[in-house]
Amino acid sequence: MDRTASTVTVSGSRVARPETYLATGLFSVPSTLGAWRLSYWVMARARWFPQPLKYPLLTGEVMGILGGDGFTLPVVSPVEVVDVEIEFTESARRALKSSMDGDENTHVLIVSAQSGGCSGYLYDMQISEDPGDEGFQRMDVEGVTVLVHDKDSFMLSGIRIDFKDTLMGGGFQIENPNADRSCGCGQSFG
Amino acid sequence: MSRTDLHGIAELMSLPCSVSVLRGESALEHLNRSLTVDTIGMPEKGRLDGFLCNANGRILDRLLICRLEEELVLIGNHGAGKATREVLIRGIAWDEEITVMDGDGAVSHLRLVGAAPNRCIAGMGIDPNEVDAGHWTEYGSALLSRSYFQGVDSIDMIVPTAELAALIKLLEENGAVVPDSARCELVRIELGMLDHREMNEGFLPMEIGLDSMVDLTKGCYPGQEVHARLDSRGSPTRGIAMLRLDSEVGVGRLKLPGGGSLVVTASASTRQETVALAVVPLRLIEDGTVDLGGGSFAEVQSL
Repeated sequence: MDRTASTVTVSGSRVARPETYLATGLFSVPSTLGAWRLSYWVMARARWFPQPLKYPLLTGEVMGILGGDGFTLPVVSPVEVVDVEIEFTESARRALKSSMDGDENTHVLIVSAQSGGCSGYLYDMQISEDPGDEGFQRMDVEGVTVLVHDKDSFMLSGIRIDFKDTLMGGGFQIENPNADRSCGCGQSFG
Repeated sequence: MSRTDLHGIAELMSLPCSVSVLRGESALEHLNRSLTVDTIGMPEKGRLDGFLCNANGRILDRLLICRLEEELVLIGNHGAGKATREVLIRGIAWDEEITVMDGDGAVSHLRLVGAAPNRCIAGMGIDPNEVDAGHWTEYGSALLSRSYFQGVDSIDMIVPTAELAALIKLLEENGAVVPDSARCELVRIELGMLDHREMNEGFLPMEIGLDSMVDLTKGCYPGQEVHARLDSRGSPTRGIAMLRLDSEVGVGRLKLPGGGSLVVTASASTRQETVALAVVPLRLIEDGTVDLGGGSFAEVQSL
């Protein structure tokens, strides 16, 4: 038998010399499986491999792992929305004003939370152009617009933002009365 | 379980699971912030097994991940899907566009275990050499990957439930047998195939011997502080083991006459003996035996 000519392609999966693979495995099978050994040997010698003709996927249209029924529409998890109140300390106000560097009219500060960190959620503060999203609550802090998304409102309402001007461990610091725990670096809470 | 006790070709185990799908450009980044494994750079059709843990480092869910372009299929513990999806949804940042879908029941998880599972899939026209532990191989609508338990080769398969019966039929035609639930449980325990009964909030990954599913170099994730502390200060005080004894043993916490306790998560009996999975104090694994009280002793084998 010409083994080199036995490469076949089935459903995009290249099967290289299946009879060679099977033949080399024949002798590792327990003797109680004589019938199986014989049938595989016969099939291999007769070059009947592969013949997955009875699996409908290979004869009909392949739906893909996500193609079947049973998947829902996007899952929506209800979140409690509260009116956000954030306290900025004097030093935080100064630092925020300084960070905006005159861009108060075009840029906003977005305070948010996302998964991650050691305790479950990470704080994030970013200065960016106003996303114009109605899902945000807006506050004015000395002429700077501060945004908090409704989805984060329950986790972030009541936080106190401070600024520490030190070389080590400095920068904006957040104290969160809603957090059951926070990690050592102060950037994560849960 | 010795190789002679395994089925000559393969037994087909149906593994109850939850299924969630994450869709979106930043789905991998989102998942990376939450799981114990590094999902960044996961290749197309790549496979990763990781944990979703709480801040105390305990397991909320085990996730077997399959990446299909911008979609991530997450095969989780049976019954844990809803809670997992809620955790994942809450953690989506305001500027991320990620869709979470509930696929519980839409996809089924099968596992081929035996002395020669490769023979079974080769009969179906799949090159066994193309099925490995790090990625999923497509076979029609099904996806195949490989796992090892106590050195025994097994093939994991996920398939749309609509096509489950056809796939099982084809596997049976190629030598696989579908065992009854008692045999399934026996094989699961003997090979240390952990499921939701072990991978749950009662335990840390290190306590059930799955340190390999925790990457302490990837950066922060919920539970990382606890895992890192365990790693740097030695080992946990208890670990997973298999008990082998003459009498039956129930599932649950068991106080030991010599002090301390162990937690039996599963047990199965044959005519000759009972085997059980249990999380036990490490000293018992070192001793190799435990007095369960009432004149009952068990052999303790590390997994």
